[in-house]
Amino acid sequence: MRRAETSVNDKNDCLVVIPALNESATIGNVVDALGCAGFNNVLVVNDSSDDDTAEIAERAGAMVISLLERLGAWGAAQTGLRYAIRKGYNAVITLDADNQHPVDACDELLRELINGNANVVVGSCPERGSGLRKIAWKWIKAASGVNLQDLTSGFRAYDRLAIRRAASWRGTLLEYQDIGVLLLLQRHGLVIVDVPVNMRPRAMGGSRIFYNWSVVAYYMTHTLVLSACKRIGLSPYQRPAVAPKVFL
Amino acid sequence: MIPVVTSAIGLTVAVLIIMLIRTDRLHVTHGIGWLVAALVMAGLGFAPGIFDALATRLGITYGPALAFTIGFGVVLIKLLLDDIERSNLKMRHTRMVQRMAILENEVRQAKRARADKTPQDKDDNS
Repeated sequence: MRRAETSVNDKNDCLVVIPALNESATIGNVVDALGCAGFNNVLVVNDSSDDDTAEIAERAGAMVISLLERLGAWGAAQTGLRYAIRKGYNAVITLDADNQHPVDACDELLRELINGNANVVVGSCPERGSGLRKIAWKWIKAASGVNLQDLTSGFRAYDRLAIRRAASWRGTLLEYQDIGVLLLLQRHGLVIVDVPVNMRPRAMGGSRIFYNWSVVAYYMTHTLVLSACKRIGLSPYQRPAVAPKVFL
Repeated sequence: MIPVVTSAIGLTVAVLIIMLIRTDRLHVTHGIGWLVAALVMAGLGFAPGIFDALATRLGITYGPALAFTIGFGVVLIKLLLDDIERSNLKMRHTRMVQRMAILENEVRQAKRARADKTPQDKDDNS
């Protein structure tokens, strides 16, 4: 494992990326709270919402990127990472638009990057979620060998190196932002730590995965196969892979 | 009778592929493979003895079994190659959607910055 870079200085170096799909009820509050906490660079990636998520976010003071096509939470978050590279940010914090992630914990996540303790910090709250989710985590941990408390948390901070790796074409092949991204970053030798945070229950709606048996079955099969395939006998990435003609 | 039917199917598929290429519904790159497959099928229909001779040499008593096995293997490889290509295309498509959204945002910001310029600024510049 390489020691983390310490290119992050303060909140001005950091872009907060919020992937949002039909979150008009909560997005305004989340952007406001971030502004109050001193995070002025907030990017909402509107994942082709049917409601006025984009307008509300913009009125609240966020920059908004609207995707022409729904790419899912990870596709939207990766758009934010690519935007951060383009604009020269040294750190990115991703958080959910449903007000579940505590904005005041962003400082803790960022502090770990500033101190050079990690390339990626995961805000974890293993207490949340149903029994089913906990069983799923246990299986995924066993299959992947990734020993973090909360594998599905979208509340993360990435430093510049991690942003570049996660924003790569390999990252685009991933469907979910959880274990696949962590395995990708781990294979690049980046340091990933988790920091306990108190997450709030969702204000509206429920999990997009753990609500339907067929979706859970697909998610689990997908994740377990990915975890097992990526774990066995792979050497660390030594140099940037040559992508088949990719639009960057 | 079977050789005639096999050859007829092969030739029909070959003509169909040519028609698809002519009407721009199939890219030549993909068409070549299909054309070769159709012509091989037609050729083997006219000369069924080839497979029987090959099967005998390989110790397979029933010649058509060899034909089916090879055919199935080729189809399987083709499907796998198609899925590899589909994965690549999906990734490129996603990245293009992301890039387009980022560029759209930049165009919007640039337009807004231009519109926000006061008449005073415009006078200064001129």
